[in-house]
Amino acid sequence: MEEIIWYIIAGLTLASALGVLIMKKPLYSAFCLVLHLFMIAALFALLDAHFLATAQIIVYAGAIMVLVVFVIMLLSLDGAEKKPSYFLGGLSLVAIFALFKMLLPALRDTFSVSGTNLQGDVKSIGLLLYTKYIYSFEVASILIMVAIVGAVILAKRTKKNVTT
Amino acid sequence: MTISEPTLALIVLAPLIGSILSFVIGKKVKNLAGWIATLSAIASFGIVYNLFRKLGPKEIFEYSLFNWFSVGDLSVDFIFRFDALTAVMCLVVTGVGSLIHLYSIAYMAEDESKHRFFSYLNLFLFSMLILVLGGNLLILFIGWEGVGLCSYLLIGFWYKNLAFAAAGKKAFVVNRIGDAGFLLAIFLISQTFGTIDFVALAQKIAELQDLSLYVTLLTSVGICLFIGAAGKSAQIPLFVWLPDAMAGPTPVSALIHAATMVTAGVYMMARTNFIFDAAPLAMSVVVIVSVLTAFVAGTIAIAQNDIKKVLAYSTVSQLGFMFMAAGSGAYWVAIFHVITHAFFKACLFLGAGSVIHGCHHEQDMRHMGGLAKLMPITFVTYLLSTLAIAGIAPFSGYWSKHAILASLQSNPNIYLSGILEFSVILASITAVITAFYMTRSLAMTFFGSYRGHAHPHESPLLMTIPLIILAGLATVAGYYGGDLAHYLEHVLPANGAHFHHEELVAALKHSWTAIMGVLVALILYTKLKNIPKMIGSALSPVTKLLEHKYYLDEVYGSFIVRPLEGAAKFLWTNVDQSIVDGAVNGTAQIVDVSGEVLRSTQTGQVRTYMFLMFAGMIALIGLYLVF
Amino acid sequence: MLPLSHYIVLAAILFGVGALGVMVRRNTIVVFMCIEIMLNAVNLTFVTFSKLHGNLEGQIGVFFVMVVAAAEAAVGLAIIISVFRSILSVETTDSGELKL
Repeated sequence: MEEIIWYIIAGLTLASALGVLIMKKPLYSAFCLVLHLFMIAALFALLDAHFLATAQIIVYAGAIMVLVVFVIMLLSLDGAEKKPSYFLGGLSLVAIFALFKMLLPALRDTFSVSGTNLQGDVKSIGLLLYTKYIYSFEVASILIMVAIVGAVILAKRTKKNVTT
Repeated sequence: MTISEPTLALIVLAPLIGSILSFVIGKKVKNLAGWIATLSAIASFGIVYNLFRKLGPKEIFEYSLFNWFSVGDLSVDFIFRFDALTAVMCLVVTGVGSLIHLYSIAYMAEDESKHRFFSYLNLFLFSMLILVLGGNLLILFIGWEGVGLCSYLLIGFWYKNLAFAAAGKKAFVVNRIGDAGFLLAIFLISQTFGTIDFVALAQKIAELQDLSLYVTLLTSVGICLFIGAAGKSAQIPLFVWLPDAMAGPTPVSALIHAATMVTAGVYMMARTNFIFDAAPLAMSVVVIVSVLTAFVAGTIAIAQNDIKKVLAYSTVSQLGFMFMAAGSGAYWVAIFHVITHAFFKACLFLGAGSVIHGCHHEQDMRHMGGLAKLMPITFVTYLLSTLAIAGIAPFSGYWSKHAILASLQSNPNIYLSGILEFSVILASITAVITAFYMTRSLAMTFFGSYRGHAHPHESPLLMTIPLIILAGLATVAGYYGGDLAHYLEHVLPANGAHFHHEELVAALKHSWTAIMGVLVALILYTKLKNIPKMIGSALSPVTKLLEHKYYLDEVYGSFIVRPLEGAAKFLWTNVDQSIVDGAVNGTAQIVDVSGEVLRSTQTGQVRTYMFLMFAGMIALIGLYLVF
Repeated sequence: MLPLSHYIVLAAILFGVGALGVMVRRNTIVVFMCIEIMLNAVNLTFVTFSKLHGNLEGQIGVFFVMVVAAAEAAVGLAIIISVFRSILSVETTDSGELKL
């Protein structure tokens, strides 16, 4: 039973990722990505990372994708783009295939175990975050502040480049 | 017995300082250059004379400046030695040199670069003295090269004339060919005997147990040394530079190409007498070459019209005589002729210079004549020196030439036994020819009536005083032959040659062939002037051959110079331009092409960069996994 | 319980899909979205390993990756807007001024 659910979720994840890749209109790609993020959150939940699953939905699907959709709308991008480069695509496939060939056999044999049970709730993560990783936490908050300031400055409408 | 004597360095130092000072001070005050140079030459002469008086019999003064280098077995010092032979040579070099310096003050009075002239002249004295004072072959060679350099500088003194500059270059290049032989000899000696010091070398050769083992080596060394001497002292086949060297100012011709530099070869042979005495085959080569040289040069001199060219070929011929004596083992006789030749040849050249100066730079004898009344002092000194070179008693040339012929006749060399008679006859004929062409030049220049366009006048005092002194020496020097032989007896082996003192009447009887030569020339060139012209046109192929010096320069040009130039050109186009330049340009092109190739990775497209980053990362992972 | 290798393989495939998308698509925003796919694949791997070892360190890693992804999204989209204002296009091939 669990296996079937897992395969459905995994299949959807993969399908939506391919959808992002294939869709011609950027808005449709954005929608596919939202679905993909939800499925990843489900996978997180299956792995006992409940807090992360929630955070994923709130941050990724809720904030970041909204931002992306906003930008797509702002720039009125609905037109199809030029044909993608199949040459580069072929080369990339070769490269990725090489990567898989190198890594996967080793991984597959080593990790046939099921793993241990875990408590991935808010309290446990909070405890770890505020004691052992407090330094990184503070740096991350500074990073976010810098990103805010940077984004505002970069996207500001100046007298010179008034187009929209 | 060897005594240390530091003042030896002063002999050499005086002309060096004079050279520098006369250039530096002479540039500012032109007229001082000559006097500074002359004073330093006289100072050097003074020091030499002082040492000459101090030198006792069998003594050698020695002074080593420093140890130049020591490599393996070979240790070479920068050492000066003053023995009887060096004393005599130094006296001649500095004495005649000082007189010529004095003469040059008047001769070069109108020249604008005379500071350079006197600087070079003193530099020449410096080099020549190093040559003569050198205690080993290498120091001698330094002086050898130095005089070659000064000869080049002074022959091409008026360098703005391209022909004169070319003559200087020719002198240097031909000299260099001889130097190759000299260097080979030095290498052979240093490798076999482990020393190049004259005293040590003489001792080693004297102590050799079995001489027959070394004969081949010593013969090769002797021949190589003679090649060097042939270059410097103008013997066949390397004499072609000396007539061209007349392009230099006449005092240069007098000092370098008559009295001193050209005798360096003879001196060198006298210094290395122990090598030649052990190699009779080399000695025979010396004799044969020198006899031929003397004869050939004498015949060319008959047909020359330029007064300096006559004297030049005469010098070549007389050098042949000196080598005849040296080649017969009579080294002191060769040195005797060096001294007497220095006196009368310098006087002749200076006299020619006086004539040229007085006739306003006219050198062709056909445009001279009748100068006996117009330039009396020059005439008398020229006459005395002509009698000396002709070999007429009691003038000095008779005694030295007679001694040479005597030593040649009694040459015991077994390699020469078949041709000795012929050589003696040829040498005697050459002596007569010498008398003939010298009297010819005397008659054409001084007798008859003046055929030129200038107004000849006698030369100033500064020019005539050296003439008188040299002519006087040329007259009386012969009587001191015996003293010279005695003085040199501990330094040079006599090998059976002794000075025969004769009474005047007997000596005059012995010089009858020379007297005949003089008389014939006098008659032909004063009274019967048409006969030489008729003989000349009747034998015109011979005349042409002699006038063009047996076409030797042309032969050298086509057989040696032209092929070498062709080879150089071939190497230039095929090696330097194609290979070397090609390699350099090719390297630049490789850089260029590889730059073009690498440029294609910078497309400016983000996707390309991303792909390259991705591929690079995968490659790194792969490398990490493999190693 | 499912063997964890399944999750790893899935993450790997997702990563490959994301990489392919980055290199093939020309629209900059779609490229950005494919980068997000790659990041999520990595997050999945981290969480899997955290479950394997039984401690929460991996999940902390995911937390910080998410923080960085958010910051990157903000700044990146701001840049896209800024570039759009000058060249009026979001195609990656339209700006080749840095070509040698």
